[in-house]
Amino acid sequence: MAIPVKMPKIGLSDESAIIAKWHKKKGEQVKAGEVLFTIETDKSTFDVEAEVDGILLDVFYNEGDEVQVLTDVGIIGREGENIGDIIPSQGKHKSQSETQKQQVSEAKSIEVELSLKDAAEKADSDLLTRVVEKGAVKISPRARGLAERAGVDFRLANATGPEGRIIERDILALIEKGPVFTPAAKEEYLKKDMDLQLTEGTGIGGRITTEDIQKNSEEQEVTKAPLMIAEEPDRRETIEKPALEELRKGVKYKEVRFTNIRKLIAKNMMRSLSTTAQLTSNASFDATEILAYREKIKANGKKYGLENITLNDMVLYAVSRTLPNHPDLNAHLVDETMLIFENVHLGVAIDTERGLMVPTIFNANLKSLNEISREVKQLAEQCRKGTINPDYLKGGTFTVTNLGAMDVEHFTPILNPPQTGILGVCSITYRPRPVNGQYEYYPAMGLSLTFDHRAVDGAPAARFLKDLKTNLENFSLLLAR
Amino acid sequence: MSKAIFIDPKETRKSGWITFKDIPVNQYSKSIDDEKMNFSKEDFLRIYRDMAIIREFETMLYMVRTTGEYEGITYKYTGPAHLSLGQEASAVGQAYILDKDDYIFGSHRSHGEIIAKAMSCIQKMSDDELVEIMKNTFGGAILKVVEGKQKDKNSVKELAIDFFIYGAMAEIFGRENGFARGLGNSMHVFFTPFGIYPNNAIVGGSAPIAIGAALYKKVNKKKGMVICNVGDGALGCGPVWEAMNMAAMDQFKTLWEEGYKGGLPIIFNFFDNQYGMGGQTNGETMGYQMLARIGAGINPEQMYAERIDGYNPLAVIDAIKRKKKLIEENQGPVLLDTVTYRLTGHSPSDAETYRTKEELDAWKAIDPLETFKDDLVNAGIASREEINEIRQYSKELIFKIFKLAIDDSVSPRIDLVKNPDFIGNVMFSNQRIEKMEDRECDVLIPKEENPRVKQIKNKIRVGVQGDKPVSKIKTFQLRDAIFESIIDKFYADPTLIAYGEDNRDWGGAFGVYKGLTESLPYHRFFNAPISEAAIVGSAVGYALCGGRVVVELMYADFMGRAGDEIFNQLSKWQAMSAGVLKMPVVLRMSVGAKYGAQHSQDWTSICAHIPGLKVVYPATPYDAKGIMNTALMGTDPVVFMESQKIYDIGELFRKEGVPEGYYEIPIGEPDIKKEGKDITILTIGPTLYQAVEAAKVLEQKYGVDAEIIDARSVVPFNYEKVIESVKKTGKIVLASDECERGSILNDFARNITELAFDYLDAPPVVIGAKNWITPAYELEKYFYPQADWIIDAIHEKIIPLKDHIPLNNFTRLEQIRLNKLGV
Repeated sequence: MAIPVKMPKIGLSDESAIIAKWHKKKGEQVKAGEVLFTIETDKSTFDVEAEVDGILLDVFYNEGDEVQVLTDVGIIGREGENIGDIIPSQGKHKSQSETQKQQVSEAKSIEVELSLKDAAEKADSDLLTRVVEKGAVKISPRARGLAERAGVDFRLANATGPEGRIIERDILALIEKGPVFTPAAKEEYLKKDMDLQLTEGTGIGGRITTEDIQKNSEEQEVTKAPLMIAEEPDRRETIEKPALEELRKGVKYKEVRFTNIRKLIAKNMMRSLSTTAQLTSNASFDATEILAYREKIKANGKKYGLENITLNDMVLYAVSRTLPNHPDLNAHLVDETMLIFENVHLGVAIDTERGLMVPTIFNANLKSLNEISREVKQLAEQCRKGTINPDYLKGGTFTVTNLGAMDVEHFTPILNPPQTGILGVCSITYRPRPVNGQYEYYPAMGLSLTFDHRAVDGAPAARFLKDLKTNLENFSLLLAR
Repeated sequence: MSKAIFIDPKETRKSGWITFKDIPVNQYSKSIDDEKMNFSKEDFLRIYRDMAIIREFETMLYMVRTTGEYEGITYKYTGPAHLSLGQEASAVGQAYILDKDDYIFGSHRSHGEIIAKAMSCIQKMSDDELVEIMKNTFGGAILKVVEGKQKDKNSVKELAIDFFIYGAMAEIFGRENGFARGLGNSMHVFFTPFGIYPNNAIVGGSAPIAIGAALYKKVNKKKGMVICNVGDGALGCGPVWEAMNMAAMDQFKTLWEEGYKGGLPIIFNFFDNQYGMGGQTNGETMGYQMLARIGAGINPEQMYAERIDGYNPLAVIDAIKRKKKLIEENQGPVLLDTVTYRLTGHSPSDAETYRTKEELDAWKAIDPLETFKDDLVNAGIASREEINEIRQYSKELIFKIFKLAIDDSVSPRIDLVKNPDFIGNVMFSNQRIEKMEDRECDVLIPKEENPRVKQIKNKIRVGVQGDKPVSKIKTFQLRDAIFESIIDKFYADPTLIAYGEDNRDWGGAFGVYKGLTESLPYHRFFNAPISEAAIVGSAVGYALCGGRVVVELMYADFMGRAGDEIFNQLSKWQAMSAGVLKMPVVLRMSVGAKYGAQHSQDWTSICAHIPGLKVVYPATPYDAKGIMNTALMGTDPVVFMESQKIYDIGELFRKEGVPEGYYEIPIGEPDIKKEGKDITILTIGPTLYQAVEAAKVLEQKYGVDAEIIDARSVVPFNYEKVIESVKKTGKIVLASDECERGSILNDFARNITELAFDYLDAPPVVIGAKNWITPAYELEKYFYPQADWIIDAIHEKIIPLKDHIPLNNFTRLEQIRLNKLGV
């Protein structure tokens, strides 16, 4: 019997993926376990293997096509088998909108199955749900007309009418507080059907201009929810718009499109900043002890079979041991509910060619310094290669990011919601301090803690920093514990 | 009610007997020879001719309806055909001495009566008169068709006969040349220039209307009398009894002023053909056995009731002559039981399962067309050939006219494609006539001397001065406003009369007419019996004869008692006459309060549903006077709703107060009582004041600025103002005291939805009274819409109000639940 080959759903937040390469051609023999095609998601590249033996009877998408997850992309079966009922819409391709509609319902049912364990993904799902509801939006004719005349997207209005209906006052509120378009931009926007929360107007009176739209649409092409029902051409072909051309006439420039991961980062960062109340506290600690420890490792680590434990690994270790005493920072904030985690799952920001990635060291508080060091190295490697299992790119309860190697003295890391804290590790500078009436210099390493003030107040956050500082300054004692 | 009549307990309780006089039954026994001195040969032959014309006319219809052809010409006619074959002698005998000033009203079976009446009038009228009538009827359109088609080109009478037969037949066949443009059809043919007034397809429907016509003749001192022709079956109908009773009211003889004293000039003539459809009135469906008996139940004169032989035209002529004399002596009303028999079924679909062949044969054997012919021949009046020639003439006449009447090229139907508004244009006459006749008004004192007028002069014509409400007793109230308008008209239009229950002396149960008695003689203002059908029906008759009338139903709830008169008569005759008749009637109805289930219902919507009625419901003194003025200036039937809740209310909206002088408020124009920008509240009637209360709360508590529109009129209704308001506010609540289900407000809501859909922020919300009985006064606030209902409905269905806690359930679930239960 012919078996459809589906676009796998790799991470829960994945809605679609791009077929990077077909390793088998239509009509070719495949064996179970052979790589059938490679997909590229926001976060990684992934090989999809054939699950059964047979002939690749048909493929529905070409390389470069963006395909919704769980969509049939091809069929494996016996020669000459009737596959009519598997081929989408009895034809070669399901229209994109149909596929999208189908995905809406699937996405929704999946959303329902979300458990607390997967709360990390909930933020994404919320976006999805919100968009799903937009499909059946209730709005009074008057409100719709007003929105149209005013150039605001009623889907962004907060419905306060009976039975969740958007009524006039909601649009008025949106006009007052929400984004307003220039007429041309509105047309553009409707065509592109984008998520406006990411868009800020640069026009007169904060109006969103076509340029804003253009900028935004480039950011959002893939991350955008798949359920906008508009029938539109492949968006990746619509980069250049006349207005844009006009604007850039005579200026030499090179255009570099966002990669998927860039888009995701951009989206996540924006969402982080727009949906949380984050602020950063800076501190520093005396790194004398960890520097000394680092020297020890360098000198004798190998003999003891230890990894090349870095300063950052030590910070990670210290964080994993400090956090259990500060549960509000080892937590997720979802819908005004704090999910306090028993163990520490440390996200570690890794700079890769493709952009920032944050793999997770699960149960870091239960792991030794050496184990942590080893795991970080492995994960970083996989990230750089793009082969990391997406399951490792989620589930963090606190993140550590390090710009110390780049001589950054302090910065404001951006939270990775729904986490409530992220620690930025900075470079070491030398600072004077009075000792016995004389100033002496000591190596001071900067720590920048960004936390969500909705979850944690300033003092408890500072207490965490203070504890962390103490632990790091007495690292050997900490190790002994 | 009159203090002039002393109800003496001694007299009332005295022992004795009611005695009756004998009622004559077929007492006419003269022969042709006996009558030779009263009738010339021409007269005798004309009697025969008229019977022959009717016979042929009805035969033609019978043939067309049952065989699809007449004299070899096929024609499809599927309309009604209630034929009077067999009843010709009754009709001709009745019409013989009548002229154009004698009005006849008839039933669904009246072809014979109208032809006979027309022939009689043509015989009596001068050629000039006839030519004028023919030329003036629809601009000579009917005349043009028949002109020049006569054997004797110089005979205006022959032409007039053709003219009438054609106009009647064209009407029956639904042609534009019919006397009502084909809008009346078979059961409703009439032609007022010959004194032929509407025939009525509702059994007994003509009785109340006919007494109105008689009232018109009496009050306005018009020549002639009225004959109400109905069948014996009509005696099963309440309105017929009401009409006879009202026609026989003692006050005509006891209280009405000299010159007006005496009974109504009307003959209730029952064409007693023995059947009401198939029900045998003698022996099966009635108990009187001989119809004439009932006269004895109406008044001491026994209505001068008599049974006469309707199969002998001379017997009928004799009776009408004698009864007409009685009428002229102000001895009406009169009852005639004209025995007759129809030789065909009730209608062509009648299988006649209710009578035997023997019975039919027995009546056929005395067919007047044969017996009267034999009598004439035997008496040596005319030869058989002469009479056969007349029969031949009637056949040729009907055949000639038949060909014209069915010919689409000469007798088209009204073209509703070219002229789609034709019927719409005759639904209302929309005229403005200050007085229906130009003569002195009969009044008792100058208006200025009227005690109520003097009292009102001292009243304050606004309801609030500054911020202070004017006391009820000092305020010019809504009831004063209605009074002021009506008394003004009594001094302007001499034909205006007003009546109803307890109108005179009492001044109406709610004091609207207080003081009117002092100004008006009985014949212009009197008390009617508790007979709603007769009250409204007689107003219809009074108005269609040319007068203006205000009648009152004490409670709107009594409308059911006048159902046919309001829904089938008052509303329809303007259009059924294609605009020939006018209906300047104001029907005042008051909506009760505090009086429970059968005395506190707002039935505005029921009236609004019926095409042909204008329906108004003013809620302020200014509007009440202005709209009443307009209603009394117009020529259309206006149902004027009043609310007992607010009879004493002063003018609260118009700062200048209610003008003392004359002004009009157009019917159909709603009024913005309070401007606002956030939500529109449209009310009908007294619910206006609940809306005002709600608007205050909305403003003070929720910062919502409501615009209040008072519909004032329900039919017609100009939506423009409301749409403009909704365009502004986007939200509308409609409220009135009518039960919510079937309320006209639902129509309003639908129209508003359609007309302003894109402007609406929520569906229009209708608030009506509960679909319950009206409970006791103390519970009325749970039944009629209250201010908090309006606010709750807004909150629940239109725009949630901040921190509002609703007291009433206006949720969707409740809406579904209540509808499921039918409450």
